[in-house]
Amino acid sequence: MAQLTARFRTDNRRYAVEDVPFSVPAASETTDLSHLINKLLAAGHDHKYVEFDFLINGQFLRMPLVTHMEMENISTEEVVEIEYVEKYMAPQPEECIFHDDWISSVQATEEWILTGCYDQTARIWSLEGKSIMTIAGHTEVVKDVAWVKQDSLSCLLLSASMDQTVLLWEWNVEKNKVKALHCCRGHAGSVDSIAVDCTRTKFCSGSWDKMLKIWSAVPTEEEDEMEEAANRPRKKQKTEQLGLTRTPLATLSGHTEAVSSVLWSDTEEICSASWDHTIKLWDAETGDLKSTLTGNKVFNSVSYSPLCRRLASGSTDRHIRLWDPRSKDGSLVLLSLTSHTGWVTSVKWSPTHEHQLISGSLDNIVKLWDTRSCKAPLYDLAAHEDKVLCVDWTEAGLLLSGGADNKLYCYRYPATASDVGA
Amino acid sequence: MSPGAAYLDVCILCPERGGRGHTSPNEAQPVVVQGTGVGGPTPLSPLQLWRSVIALPASAIPVHPSPAPCRPGRRQRVCLGRGLDITQLSYPLPPFLPAPPQHPGVHLLEMVSPALTPLPSAPLQDIRNTVGNIPMEWYQDFPHIGYNLEGKKIYKPIRNKDELDMFLEKMENPDYWRTVQDKMTGADIKLTDEQVDLVHRLQKGQFGDVHFNPYEPAVDFFTHEVMIHPVTNRPADKRSFIPSLIEKEKVSKLVHAIKMGWIKPRKPKDDTPTYYDLWAHEDPNSILGRHKMHVPAPKMKLPGHEESYNPPPEYLLSEEEKLAWEQQEPAERKLNFVPQQYRCLRAVPAYSRFIHERFERCLDLYLCPRQRKMRVNVDPEDLIPKLPKPRDLQPFPTTQALVYRGHTSLVRCLSISPSGQWLVSGSDDCTVRFWEVCTARCMKTLPVGGVVKSVAWNPNPTICLVAICVEQSVLLVNPCLGDKLLYGATDQLLESYVAPEEERVQPVQWVTATMEEHSKGVRLVVQHSKAVKQVTWHGKGDYFASVVSDNSNMQVLIHQTSKRWSQNPFRKSKGLVQCVLFHPIRPYFFVATQRYVRVYNLLKQELTKKLMTNCKWVSSMAIHPGGDNIICGSYDSKLAWFDLDLSTRPYQLLRHHKKALRSVAFHKHYPLFASGSDDGTVIVCHGMVYNDLLQNPLLVPVKVLKGHAMTLDLGVLDVLFHPTQPWVFSSGADSTVRLYT
Repeated sequence: MAQLTARFRTDNRRYAVEDVPFSVPAASETTDLSHLINKLLAAGHDHKYVEFDFLINGQFLRMPLVTHMEMENISTEEVVEIEYVEKYMAPQPEECIFHDDWISSVQATEEWILTGCYDQTARIWSLEGKSIMTIAGHTEVVKDVAWVKQDSLSCLLLSASMDQTVLLWEWNVEKNKVKALHCCRGHAGSVDSIAVDCTRTKFCSGSWDKMLKIWSAVPTEEEDEMEEAANRPRKKQKTEQLGLTRTPLATLSGHTEAVSSVLWSDTEEICSASWDHTIKLWDAETGDLKSTLTGNKVFNSVSYSPLCRRLASGSTDRHIRLWDPRSKDGSLVLLSLTSHTGWVTSVKWSPTHEHQLISGSLDNIVKLWDTRSCKAPLYDLAAHEDKVLCVDWTEAGLLLSGGADNKLYCYRYPATASDVGA
Repeated sequence: MSPGAAYLDVCILCPERGGRGHTSPNEAQPVVVQGTGVGGPTPLSPLQLWRSVIALPASAIPVHPSPAPCRPGRRQRVCLGRGLDITQLSYPLPPFLPAPPQHPGVHLLEMVSPALTPLPSAPLQDIRNTVGNIPMEWYQDFPHIGYNLEGKKIYKPIRNKDELDMFLEKMENPDYWRTVQDKMTGADIKLTDEQVDLVHRLQKGQFGDVHFNPYEPAVDFFTHEVMIHPVTNRPADKRSFIPSLIEKEKVSKLVHAIKMGWIKPRKPKDDTPTYYDLWAHEDPNSILGRHKMHVPAPKMKLPGHEESYNPPPEYLLSEEEKLAWEQQEPAERKLNFVPQQYRCLRAVPAYSRFIHERFERCLDLYLCPRQRKMRVNVDPEDLIPKLPKPRDLQPFPTTQALVYRGHTSLVRCLSISPSGQWLVSGSDDCTVRFWEVCTARCMKTLPVGGVVKSVAWNPNPTICLVAICVEQSVLLVNPCLGDKLLYGATDQLLESYVAPEEERVQPVQWVTATMEEHSKGVRLVVQHSKAVKQVTWHGKGDYFASVVSDNSNMQVLIHQTSKRWSQNPFRKSKGLVQCVLFHPIRPYFFVATQRYVRVYNLLKQELTKKLMTNCKWVSSMAIHPGGDNIICGSYDSKLAWFDLDLSTRPYQLLRHHKKALRSVAFHKHYPLFASGSDDGTVIVCHGMVYNDLLQNPLLVPVKVLKGHAMTLDLGVLDVLFHPTQPWVFSSGADSTVRLYT
């Protein structure tokens, strides 16, 4: 079969072509189709060359047209409707920020980047890669960091560490001083993950001791009462103390293995991924277990996109799986994104795009995915020389990834070329 | 009709015909009997007449049209010949015919005299015999031959002819051949020409009447051809064109019966022919049975070019070949004759070895016993036991996930914390490293100043303590990893030791670590007299056992951490101890020497079992968490699985590795076990132990894990399972630790 009849469609009115069936070569690939569209557009009015990407029934075309249709069981006899979108530009590398040790976690805002490091510190960087602040205070590896509140004057931030505490810091931007406000004690294991809720008044932490704890993120002047271990000298503990002790508001127990990742999927809903092969959804208000999604491999990371209302999980069997947290049967995998060759350590949905996410893996590669193309990622970001441990995606379109090669890479990712112009 | 002959026109009616079958009244023809009056009285007896008539076929007998019935025995006037007046002729019916009045046999109806009137007046002697139809031999001895009508004797005619007279008469009388003797009267009768003709015709089977035509054209009344007129002009019956009620009733009955299932459709005929194996029940040892197993004699080779009288030159033997042929043993010769060339077939001499070869062929055919070799036809696939597919036995580690790099020399031993968060490895670079499992981050490095032979993390989750074998001592190290409370409590537990008042004699020395060592994490040092090669913890975490490279009975020592007390459980050495093991549940203690594994009951202090490993040199041993199965790896690349309930011999010996096994391990929860070998591979097997005692364990090798580089002819030195996940760690001579998930 040499020719196929296709109808082209786009949502972007700038690039709309006439809605008539075209006969296209069956073996044509994305570039051929892109040339075709560009020719059609150039015939109409003045037009700058634009690369396009093509979707058939919501799946990106990544191979010759006829092969794709055979694989997807689309009849080649009928007119095939091809949707085209402007091709997503490759992320542009911007900064490479050097650390002293492995980077365990990263979270960025519009102005600053906060990283957790294996040298027991958390660091604040400007977007240009300038080191602004080093927050030292933990006695063990910092496993996770999170911004709580940002003002022009002072910011609140959190760092969770393997020393079983979460510290709430206040960073005075003007004076560039950092002060530990509260030391959240209660976990009996390394605190691996923290997440701040959308009201910015609470946060949740997940730990190796299989527990989830909910804490208040509001700084106070009072110290919570702590049940003291009787045989422990009080004085010694006081000297260790950094900031006021804070105890958890609630403890959610139910996991049978270490909790690897927590997040707030809603104002009152916590989602936690664990090594016991489950993702559990909790009601933060009552502390009840709402539902359980059961996989068959250890989950390293989980991410939730409010845009498409899907959970993405990265697990040790090298797949990224998409879940519907609302499904009642609890174990339905919507989609598997398979291309990594090592454990997926970190996944992050795009805050602006409902189809895109990035993932970091132990195979040293960060991948940018579009869920409409589950076999191959959009882009491989192969800059790291060692394990990738954390990724982040800011609303401004900044992709961040840190790993065991002590480097934090930043990429500028314009969603499409037109966004750059806009 | 010649003159001088008397003619009789006789009409004979055969009553059996009954008026049927005759052609037409006109065709009735009288039987003409010709008599002759020449040469004296030639009375044609009624019998003769009768015979001539009845010899006719019945169909040929015409019937007189006269309606008047005749009576038998009726006298009638018959004229026979001119001048011969037979006025009264009386004769009986032939006796062989039944003659009831209703069915008279034959009625001589009428003899119509031709125009022979008037009759001559000369009286004629009536010589008719009245004896009836009796054998005339009865009158043989009498002078008379019967009785005439008046009852007077009829005397036999005087016959005085002797043989000569007879002969003369035969010679002289030209009518001798047509002269017959009337047995009733004894008179000679000379047959007329007509009579002779009649006799001839009858003899030929023809009709007596010359004029009778037996082949009358047949009239076909009911012809097969369709005629224009019907045979009968009868109108068709009404029933022939209205449906029959009876038939309808019959059909409805049948339909009902079919509906009710009383009538079943005919079964389809089984067309396959049935054969019977005549010899099915034949005894195969009987002669017939042996015939069935007949082995045909080998066929003789067909003659080839060599046998030709004029073979192609390449088949002819050269001189050297001939010489070689002659020197060969007859049995070894490829050809048992020398191909020879002759000018023509005529020149070929007789074959001298013919008899010899025939004899050999006969030997071949029936004198040499031939037996069929009974071979069992077994599919080799059937001999392989049916094992489940590895795919169905998931989860098990399949791919390498992490490499723990940092050691600079071969990593001899591994151990993992009970929570599965930390991994400890001991290496030949005189360090012990603590790793974070999930990131392969080396959290701590502890230089110990000696080659580390064995490490063991305390299996008690409430105690954070690692036993490390370094040369002659066992170090008890608190790695200070994990829960702060936990490792703090461990330190307190160790510090809470109060020395007993009286000094006890111990095989080892317990030394508290110096301040410098304490800062590194070392808490206690147990100093042995010789190099320690293995250390293992009891499940409760208080006792541990160490193996010393020694030849004496001091090889195995059991230590109690809380009391800092060591004892030597064995009085005698039973061989070079390779490794020891505590039972996870029961108070058993396993000691593996080179060939045997001995199981001791620690409570009763006695030997419970001695397991024969069938291996040359046991290297390692691991126990199933259930406690009823142990595996032993050996340096002769075998892995022996023992079911302790089953036998003291291995339940299975697995030979999957190519080189010596260094280490074996069981998983705590999953039905998995693994073995690491010098060939650089880790083989993961599914080892399902069933609660049902009747079911034997199921062992299926599921995965060969490769990754370690061969260094100094050593591959994998230790294997270890993660306590909760189906992951396996392996340490190798390439100074790495690898995690397979």
